[in-house]
Amino acid sequence: MPLSIDTTRFGELEIETEAVIEFPTGLIGLGGSRYALLANDETSAIVWLQSLDDPALALPVTNPGRFFNDYFVELSDAEAARIGLTDPDLADVYVTVRATEMPEDCTANLRAPILISRGTGHQVINEADNAPMRAPLFPATREKATAA
Amino acid sequence: MLIITRRPGERIMLGDDITIHVMEIVGNSARVGIEAPKSLPVYREEIWAAVKEENQASARVEADRIANPATDAGARV
Repeated sequence: MPLSIDTTRFGELEIETEAVIEFPTGLIGLGGSRYALLANDETSAIVWLQSLDDPALALPVTNPGRFFNDYFVELSDAEAARIGLTDPDLADVYVTVRATEMPEDCTANLRAPILISRGTGHQVINEADNAPMRAPLFPATREKATAA
Repeated sequence: MLIITRRPGERIMLGDDITIHVMEIVGNSARVGIEAPKSLPVYREEIWAAVKEENQASARVEADRIANPATDAGARV
């Protein structure tokens, strides 16, 4: 039976049971145990991770591969054991987006990606070098703006 | 806050399942070992706080702000 939720941003939504993602330990500092991914259409670069417990809680997220060609996730042994996933490549990877007025100031948190696999999600700490918490999404835009 | 004095080699139990080992003190650093159920995430506090702040900042955005920033900025969609 689909789950019905009256969200603050998107109004009344029906979420199919298969679309519900369980987060055993929630998102870091935000909690929540059930979320779903919402997209305008299949090509949306940014999708929303909507809490199904708190109608007001939703975070814009993106597939980091769209913006960062060489992005990869490296987990500590403890973190891999915790989420029961030895290879992060086997999960769908999303990163939270910090959206600002100016696109060139938008950043993604490459340090704490969200791994989703078989209906279960975990926000993890990426041990890889060069995984900043605020990586500019559109560095080219910033360069152009500076040049102009 | 509960404050307990421990020497290197001594431990603290949090309930039955979580053990904090005080391993060694070198200068002004303490090496601490943590044994906890593997389902329990363990974070360095400053990392936890920074990620929490990023998550909260991300969640403060209204839906219209992000209607389609990728297209606006000419990024690959």
